[in-house]
Amino acid sequence: MSNLAAESPTLADFGTDVWWIIVIKVVGIFALLVALTLFAILFERKVVGRMQQRIGPNRVGPRGGLQSLADGLKLAFKEDIMPALADKPIYFLAPVIAAVPAFLAFSVIPIGPIVSIFGERTPLQLTDLPVGVLIVLACSAMGVYGIVLAGWASGSTYPLLGSLRSAAQMISYEIAMGLSIVAVFLYAGTMSTSGIVEAQESGSEVSAFGLNFDGPGWYAVVLPVSFIIYCIAVVGETNRAPFDLPEAESELVGGFHTEYSSLKFALFYLAEYINMVTVSALAATLFLGGWRAPWPISIWDGANSGWWPVLWFIGKVILGLFVFTWLRATLPRMRYDQFMRFGWKVLVPVALLWILVVATMRVLSREYDFNAGDIALYVGIPVLVLVMAVVWLWPDKAPDPTVKEGVPPTTRGAFPTPPLDLVVPPSPPLIKRDAVAAGKRGGGKRA
Amino acid sequence: MGIGDAVLPDPVKFVLNWGRRYSLWVFNFGLACCAIEFIATSMGRHDFIRLGVIPFAHGPRQADLMVVSGTVTDKMAPAVKRLYEQMPEPKYVISFGACSNCGGPYWDSYSVTKGVDQIIPVDVYVPGCPPRPEALLQGILRLQDKIAGEQVSLNGGARGARAARSPERSTARVLTAPLVRPDSSP
Amino acid sequence: MVREEVTVGVGDAAAGLHEFPTTDMTLNIGPQHPSTHGVLRLRIVLDGERVVSAEPIVGYMHRGAEKLFEVRDYRQIIVLANRHDWLSAFSNELGVALAVERMLGMEVPERATWLRTLLAELNRILNHLMFLGSYPLEIGAITPVFYAFRERETIQAVMEEAAGGRMHFMFNRVGGIKEEVPAGWTGRVRQAVADVRSRMPDLDGLIRDNEIFLARTRGIGVLTPEQVDAFGISGPVARASGVDFDLRRDEPYLAYGELQESLRVVTRTVGDCHSRFECLLDQVYASLDLADACLDRLASVTGPVNVRLPKTLKAPEGHTYAWTENPLGLNGYFIVSRGEKTPWRCKLRSASFNNIQVLTELLPGTLLPDLVAILGSMFFVVGDIDK
Repeated sequence: MSNLAAESPTLADFGTDVWWIIVIKVVGIFALLVALTLFAILFERKVVGRMQQRIGPNRVGPRGGLQSLADGLKLAFKEDIMPALADKPIYFLAPVIAAVPAFLAFSVIPIGPIVSIFGERTPLQLTDLPVGVLIVLACSAMGVYGIVLAGWASGSTYPLLGSLRSAAQMISYEIAMGLSIVAVFLYAGTMSTSGIVEAQESGSEVSAFGLNFDGPGWYAVVLPVSFIIYCIAVVGETNRAPFDLPEAESELVGGFHTEYSSLKFALFYLAEYINMVTVSALAATLFLGGWRAPWPISIWDGANSGWWPVLWFIGKVILGLFVFTWLRATLPRMRYDQFMRFGWKVLVPVALLWILVVATMRVLSREYDFNAGDIALYVGIPVLVLVMAVVWLWPDKAPDPTVKEGVPPTTRGAFPTPPLDLVVPPSPPLIKRDAVAAGKRGGGKRA
Repeated sequence: MGIGDAVLPDPVKFVLNWGRRYSLWVFNFGLACCAIEFIATSMGRHDFIRLGVIPFAHGPRQADLMVVSGTVTDKMAPAVKRLYEQMPEPKYVISFGACSNCGGPYWDSYSVTKGVDQIIPVDVYVPGCPPRPEALLQGILRLQDKIAGEQVSLNGGARGARAARSPERSTARVLTAPLVRPDSSP
Repeated sequence: MVREEVTVGVGDAAAGLHEFPTTDMTLNIGPQHPSTHGVLRLRIVLDGERVVSAEPIVGYMHRGAEKLFEVRDYRQIIVLANRHDWLSAFSNELGVALAVERMLGMEVPERATWLRTLLAELNRILNHLMFLGSYPLEIGAITPVFYAFRERETIQAVMEEAAGGRMHFMFNRVGGIKEEVPAGWTGRVRQAVADVRSRMPDLDGLIRDNEIFLARTRGIGVLTPEQVDAFGISGPVARASGVDFDLRRDEPYLAYGELQESLRVVTRTVGDCHSRFECLLDQVYASLDLADACLDRLASVTGPVNVRLPKTLKAPEGHTYAWTENPLGLNGYFIVSRGEKTPWRCKLRSASFNNIQVLTELLPGTLLPDLVAILGSMFFVVGDIDK
């Protein structure tokens, strides 16, 4: 056990690396992200294909494995179009602003424990800070600027609508996402990502019905409400279905990137998938035990040492990607105002309430030496039942019909009745025939 | 003639063409009946996504291939032309169905353009009214073969460089005929 | 003050009209837009995301079919007639055949009538499945369309076996149908119908009661029976508003008169997008039942399937109007003959043209996403609008 503990990095382990280790880590994370993006695009096509009774790409490379590579290659060498009405510097900068923070956010994600690279012992994580998670939040907020600016700079209507939606969406769901993480901070007692992973190593002992067992350490189990809110909020944060309003295809064509082509579009595409990878990785870090092996594997002693954890970590990320794909294949898109209402009236209040509950429990268990498990059992479950009862028994309000405010009602009678004094002009053949007939009669008289 | 226009050596050509050939993001210019058969081709039974033809291009800016499926009318022709011009080079066009090939059953209609090749260059014609999905698959394979043998330059295809240089790069506006005024003199 | 009249396409639509110095934005949806499935163009004025006014601009698909009818003889008309509403080709050609037969006073063999009824119902299923797939797609659900097309392929296979075409069947002839169906065909139709019926729950369960789908479609775009009457709306769109009118029951043609006990007219009363969708969905089940009933009768009806026509087919002087209950609504042909080989005039009354006219009343006041939901729920085919 002491051996394992030594492999878990603490904040003190960071900032002591040799320069070439840092270079290796930076390049490694960059390569990992690009590889994961290529994989994610292909994975999404394959999985969606299976869900839709299709096969998906299978001609490019072995079983279609090189499809995303071909896409990338092609996009990189396409003609770059600058729309005439675009605000050129911002149009150029926007994809960069979207892509750079996406890469940046991954620097604080712990990928594994302390390993030895060419004899140097170093944690598999570029860096960590006492406020590590906030870096990720800041980066994802920065990335949205790229989207907003892209829509504005395109000088076109559809992208503008897309970016306006994106701005509102960012503000609303950023809050819900931030609030959902607060409970994790309260439990872990730290904001450093490596610290949070370590805090999930083992759960507190739960004694229920006279049985003593090790409770689960994952915050997804300990803080289920936080986990659910986080999952919903990040789907909104990454602009993915069913919350893909800024790029709603059937409404706004391509949304903010309608006018982008070639490499600039590729950067947006890259940023979208890296963001998916990042939030999946963050979900794994905050809620699913980070790089630590899940339960049946964790029985094996070597599971959490050496390079193995990278495998578990990537497995968890792929699980996250699968959920994203699954949502996309299943759900219709929400309407903009419904989506906002959901964010502000459901997610944010629930998150606040949950923080209150968690904080209360923490204080109680510390001051009065209650067992957190006991509280969860004797208070949490009745409260949960009560909440569910209220939710289910709440009278189903009929949905509001479309609001017609601010629009003068169409005057009845003016429309749709067409003018009824329509005189149909005689058709040309008739005139001709009559003329011929008249001519004949006239001719007859003359004769 | 810039660096981008230079003809590239064969290995580079192979790699670039390999990417272009298997990543055809298609923009479906669905106009009429043929559009339904186009959709049928993207569905489970025929599934041209297998071939790397991705039908999720949001708009012309991200598309490589435009499939004109259906009757092009004179009123629609400027839009077809304009959307074609919005696509970045290298771009390819498949004319899908009799109507967009030559007017089809509307060969004697006053409002139908007799073939989309009158307004934009077409790479592959797929005959039929409407063609079967298998015919579109065959058309795509032919296009991929064609792309594999193309000369390439870094900024767009050979055609792109030529089009950019040509002085009279026609626009959609050219196709919009002015209104014919009735003769006011008696 | 329209500065840019030819503002077409997705992109580049920034040039718009500014009648007042307000923040209203003019957006051109179409003529080529992912949600217009075809080339309908809507010029809408937006205040934020709210539609202030909407004007459908039709004609991008106008192919001059009515004029072409005048230079085609009665047998050739059928080719063009099944192309204006490409999703209900069989029902379209049926209308022409019925009209010409009526003018000629021709008696159609019984077996041909039953086969026509069966094929018309199969065609109805094909048509509805297309919209059942494309409508969720417009709402943002990408999977149902794949399930819908799986069923479509099943039905298309048997249609193709009989007629030779996947979409444009050209199976009707004046006086019956082209030829006897292949041996064992009815058995395969029965199997196909059973297959589709057994797999419909996949599609149904995926979308009908989905929470988000309900939120997007319930109470949206409510069409009142008065509006239905005023605009001459017909078909499933009208029946969803409680206007219980179906020619198959109210003025039976083909063999529908004898199918009254199996004929179920699906209606709803709410008139919103969701009820329109449900009407279509339930109509598929009803049509599957009808197809089975037709198959039962076909087993016992024998005889010829067409009549021998003279070398030149000339309708006697006069005019007639034949209307049928097409999948999308009333479809009528008004044919005027001067005793020539070709009709002197052929007026086409198509369902979609009337159905989409109500958009000018339905759309103002809605949000942009609702616009897409309403547009999709009017179930139109652009060729049927523009002819």
